[in-house]
Amino acid sequence: MMPAVPLTEAQSGLWYAQRLDPLNPIFNTGQYLDLRGPLDLAAFRTAVDRAGEEAEALALRFIDSPEGPRQVIDPALRPRLHFVDLTDDPDPEGAALAAIRQDMATAIAPERGPVARQVLYRLAADRHFWAQQVHHFAIDGYGMVLLTARIAELYGLLLAGKDGAGRPLAPLAGVWEEDAAYRTSPEREADAAWWRAAMEGADEVVGMAQGKATSAFGFHRFAQVLPALTRETLLKRAKAAGLAWPDVLTALVSAYVRRFTGTDEVVIGVPHMGRMGSASARVPAMVMNVLPLRVAPDEAAPLADFLDTVARDIAAARKHGRYRSEQLRRDLGLIGGNRRLHGPLVNVQPYDRPPRMAGLEVTLHVTGTGPVEDINFTFRGDAVNALTVEVDANPNLYGAEEVAAHGHRLSVFIARALEAERLADVPSATPEEAAAELETFNASAHPLPETTLAELIERTMAATPDAEALRFEGESLSYADLDRRTRALAAALRERGVGAESLVAVALPRSLELVIALVAVLRAGGAYLPLDLDHPPARIATILRNARPAVVLAQDDPHGVYGEMLLTPGDWPQAGGGLVPPPQPDHAAYVIYTSGSTGEPKGVLVTHRAIVNRLLWMGAHYAIGPRDRILQKTPATFDVSVWEFFLPLIHGATLVVAPPGAHRDPAAIAALIRAESITTLHFVPSMLSAFLDSPESDEIETTRVFCSGEELPADLRDRFHRRVRAELHNLYGPTEAAVDVSFWPASAVDTSRSVPIGFPVWNTRLVILDEQRRPVPPGVVGQLYLGGVQLARGYVGRPDLTAERFIADPFHPGERLYMTGDLARRRPDGAVVFLGRSDHQVKVRGLRIELGEIEAAIAASGLARAATVLARDGRLVAYVVPDAGYSAEALRAELAKTMPDYMVPAAMVELEALPVTANGKLDRKALPEPVFASAGGGAPASATERQLAALYAELLGVPEIGREDDFFSLGGDSLLAVQLTLRIREVWGRDPGLAALFEYPDVAGLAARIDVATAGDAADGLAPLITLARGADDVPPLFLVHPAGGLCWGYRTLAQALDPRRTVYGLQAPTLDPAAPAPESIEALAADYARRMIEAWGDGPYHLAGWSVGGIIAQAAAVELRALGREPGLVAMLDSYPAECWRAEPEPTQSQALRALLAVAGYDPEAYPQLETRDQVLAFLRHGDSALGNLPGQALDGVVRTVLDTNRLVRGHHHRRYDGVLTHIRAGKDHASRPQLQPELWAAHAARLDCISVPFLHSQLTGPEASAMIAPLLSQRMAARPLVRA
Amino acid sequence: MTLTLQQLRADIAAIIEQDASAIGDGDNLIDLGLDSMRVMNLAVQWEEQGVPLDFADLIEVPTVAGLWAIVEQRQG
Repeated sequence: MMPAVPLTEAQSGLWYAQRLDPLNPIFNTGQYLDLRGPLDLAAFRTAVDRAGEEAEALALRFIDSPEGPRQVIDPALRPRLHFVDLTDDPDPEGAALAAIRQDMATAIAPERGPVARQVLYRLAADRHFWAQQVHHFAIDGYGMVLLTARIAELYGLLLAGKDGAGRPLAPLAGVWEEDAAYRTSPEREADAAWWRAAMEGADEVVGMAQGKATSAFGFHRFAQVLPALTRETLLKRAKAAGLAWPDVLTALVSAYVRRFTGTDEVVIGVPHMGRMGSASARVPAMVMNVLPLRVAPDEAAPLADFLDTVARDIAAARKHGRYRSEQLRRDLGLIGGNRRLHGPLVNVQPYDRPPRMAGLEVTLHVTGTGPVEDINFTFRGDAVNALTVEVDANPNLYGAEEVAAHGHRLSVFIARALEAERLADVPSATPEEAAAELETFNASAHPLPETTLAELIERTMAATPDAEALRFEGESLSYADLDRRTRALAAALRERGVGAESLVAVALPRSLELVIALVAVLRAGGAYLPLDLDHPPARIATILRNARPAVVLAQDDPHGVYGEMLLTPGDWPQAGGGLVPPPQPDHAAYVIYTSGSTGEPKGVLVTHRAIVNRLLWMGAHYAIGPRDRILQKTPATFDVSVWEFFLPLIHGATLVVAPPGAHRDPAAIAALIRAESITTLHFVPSMLSAFLDSPESDEIETTRVFCSGEELPADLRDRFHRRVRAELHNLYGPTEAAVDVSFWPASAVDTSRSVPIGFPVWNTRLVILDEQRRPVPPGVVGQLYLGGVQLARGYVGRPDLTAERFIADPFHPGERLYMTGDLARRRPDGAVVFLGRSDHQVKVRGLRIELGEIEAAIAASGLARAATVLARDGRLVAYVVPDAGYSAEALRAELAKTMPDYMVPAAMVELEALPVTANGKLDRKALPEPVFASAGGGAPASATERQLAALYAELLGVPEIGREDDFFSLGGDSLLAVQLTLRIREVWGRDPGLAALFEYPDVAGLAARIDVATAGDAADGLAPLITLARGADDVPPLFLVHPAGGLCWGYRTLAQALDPRRTVYGLQAPTLDPAAPAPESIEALAADYARRMIEAWGDGPYHLAGWSVGGIIAQAAAVELRALGREPGLVAMLDSYPAECWRAEPEPTQSQALRALLAVAGYDPEAYPQLETRDQVLAFLRHGDSALGNLPGQALDGVVRTVLDTNRLVRGHHHRRYDGVLTHIRAGKDHASRPQLQPELWAAHAARLDCISVPFLHSQLTGPEASAMIAPLLSQRMAARPLVRA
Repeated sequence: MTLTLQQLRADIAAIIEQDASAIGDGDNLIDLGLDSMRVMNLAVQWEEQGVPLDFADLIEVPTVAGLWAIVEQRQG
């Protein structure tokens, strides 16, 4: 044996690929020839064995040595013909094919060998399969052609009795020498430089299918013979252009590929046989290379020019074709991830045709050519006699049917392109596919009754008058109530001239009145126009000018824009009103304004027929019925709210209206779902993500959740199903087509990696068209157009915009198509996948924004000479060329006058000029990343501020953060906000909530909230006296007495809402320490607390307040202070009632006390009926975000014990009279079932009563809304006392 | 038909878009722009005309002199 030599560069690339995937049989290359006719077995055997001696590569043994892989020719490994006689087999052909497949599917270990196999299967006396298989290390496609041709030649010579040699195959040594010489040659360096220059500026390679292009163990194969006509046209066209026909094919396939990538340029791989004039010209060996070819067709240019360009580029690349693509890939840093040098392979093998063998009819079947990373388009044949297209594809990226479709479609594309003048004239879809796109996939016809939304709601009111129609914060309306209230208001609206086609603006927060208003407008025959109370007055004024409503239903007119049109709920009649003429199906039902690219919002007018189709489809498709309870939490200005409002009302279900603000508070939504047994609700995906991040959503159950408004990420779908027990549905649609036009069940078994927007709803078409408005085939990106009954009538007062976006349907005369501006592609199963916008519309937090509108507003401000706005990473960035008077703050302030906050860019980047491309267009790629910078305002002061500033810096990518820096001004968005709250929770154990961040987005403000939120967290949080707020030293403090649980943590919000100069202490129960003895009486407790107050604040005065039981103790402590000769100041009780009211009540059980823990932790116990035992409650608290959850179990037992103790003591307490004023704050919305609980009950126990009622429930009194009302009342009363310091 | 050296040179010159007079007997045709696809075109053309040269010959021997030697041997 000769000495071992290193692998050639060509082999090395494959060696490492195989080492990464040693069991993958894809490195077997092979073919079989179907030989019909008499075969001389002896001659054939001699030919095969003799060629096996010449072809040294077939006897290679590979060695993995410490110096790297080596190879040696080992004559013992030479393949000899293996003969298998299958003539007795019942299915000889099947058996032979099975054996061939089996061999191909078995990985060869090249260190052991042999690497080659020659098998002859005898199927019958005159029919043989000759199978050859060689590992790719030893051979390539052309090598196999050489080997086969040599065997055929030898066979012919032997049969002819000429024992001549013919032209033997050449030795491997020449290949090795050539490889070694090239490695160190200056030519190689020149090639490297040429390739780097050729690939400069190439974008990341995008394939025709999504996914990672790493070869699987096998591949899908589809082969088709091209029609003779195509071959003839190809040859004719190539000849006319003076080009080689294989180059023409390569160019056309590249153009075909580009239709699927949707990029301007594609990089295809062109196999290069690398044997021209080389020592390897007659050597079966692995020599071939793959050349990356960049193809960027100008489809509008003459086809001849395109073909010529590609042919020239290929010719240039071939001159540098020895430079290995593996090396080039390393040079360009395209290693790792899904980065690659090229996409699909286009392999034209004109020399690959069956060999001529004497007396035999031969057909060639290629069984494998090595790894199939993406998709390979191979053409075999000389084009004169035959041409076959073979599509081999990675099964991880393409389905078998998709591969076959590519084969058919590519054949049609090539045939059409060869006859075309320009590529632009060649459709991507076959005629069958075009028909499917327009009709088959859109077979959504469904009978639709001639009715209106008003009529459907009235029908439900008549059918189920006693059913619960509406719920809002504990209030409830039956369908009969709703009928009465809306009939009355409808009559009032009629009196004011409202009727068919007139508009009524509705500017109300979420409330019963909001729903009554909307239904009444519809019943009056009009259309409603929702206004957002948070929008700037200038924007509202613009909308009113454009829409000209007859009436505005609002609580007041703070900006003076409604004038005479205003009708406030106080003036609505509660009953009365008769029947009015109903609206007709084609009358307007509502108008919703969306962002408009021309600088002003545009009003989309939707008819009854359109929305009735949408609602009846949804009701039927999801089987909505009277038992459903549907949550209404979407602002009325966002069209998702339309189904939230009316789907329940037309199906006799209950509409549960969330409190204002709840829609962005995950904890509030979770509590509502539990407390109200919600069955159906909607989330914008980014909000769903925040919801799933909150501990409150764990194990939540409902029937169905709908997502729309943004793309639903596949990961979010999967996270949803891991956490929530409910169906998840993805809906899609623009406001211009009645909310949603398509649906997709995003179920737990859905594995789509882009969650589709799915299939059309009733009587609706989703059509994907290319730039020439031709239907595209599945997989190709196009513009999404919508047709059918749900299309809006148009934009109010803007016939120009209407005509631009609602075009005549070229495929259905007399109908219209709405141009969504969305990009989409269709999956082979017909589901539509959304791929983003084709224009400058973006979505932020699910809200639709036309960047053009912001740009127009910047232009109108006069502060910028030029500007463009982009969405980057979900944040809006304005690039501005400043004019006189510009500052980022000034521009921001100017924009905020006319646009809602979510449309004001998070960052303003100043540029001297907007960058332009060579042809003068805005060069978006050249726009710099925005730098978000601190506004200064002093360094963070406290430890909390410093830590929080570090979190801001990390999440926002801003190096220096000052204490006044605003999270949102620095580029924070709602998703970053969720991340921030999660990080705060990690660092401090709890967070002050998303709402607090929106309210106090600056470092100092939020740090203060964190300090309050965590005040009770340390072990000190269980101390008898804790500080809830720290104020000035010379202002008498307020002492807050704990409620039944013994903890004062629940007072944090109230403490924080008080005058900041006042220190607030919490008096906590000594029994929180399980070792402490139980107090004997309330009086004993009160004496203890009086002592503690004196310790803390010397001689007084002592302001005192307590909620619930805390009030009872406060009164007793005030009596005790007086007895000690000390002066109480304010003595206030939040909804407390004297002990005698409770004496007869049963004491709470252990389990009730446990459940009281939930209330202490800030949860509504009613929402968690399933939590009964100590362990269940503790586990729940540990999982949640309450500070209580972080306490040791022993301390929680202390709380439970305190609840039981305090309740017992209250029942045994007898009040002494307090000789002073008691301030009583009553929960005015509570006690409906116990009307006897009145403040006057205290009259016997005080000198005087100071009674106040606030509109809240008992449980809400320490919450943020109630605190905001109560804190000033307490502050006033304390301030009225003299500041006396003893 | 019988191929002449002149015709051989002219066919090659046409396919690489060069002037026939510029192609010397010993010039490497690959350096002059002959690549595998042009070889393929030439092979198709010659096969139609019955010229006794095939694809493999062309890629192995990329000079006019080398190809003419094979032709002479086969026509001989």
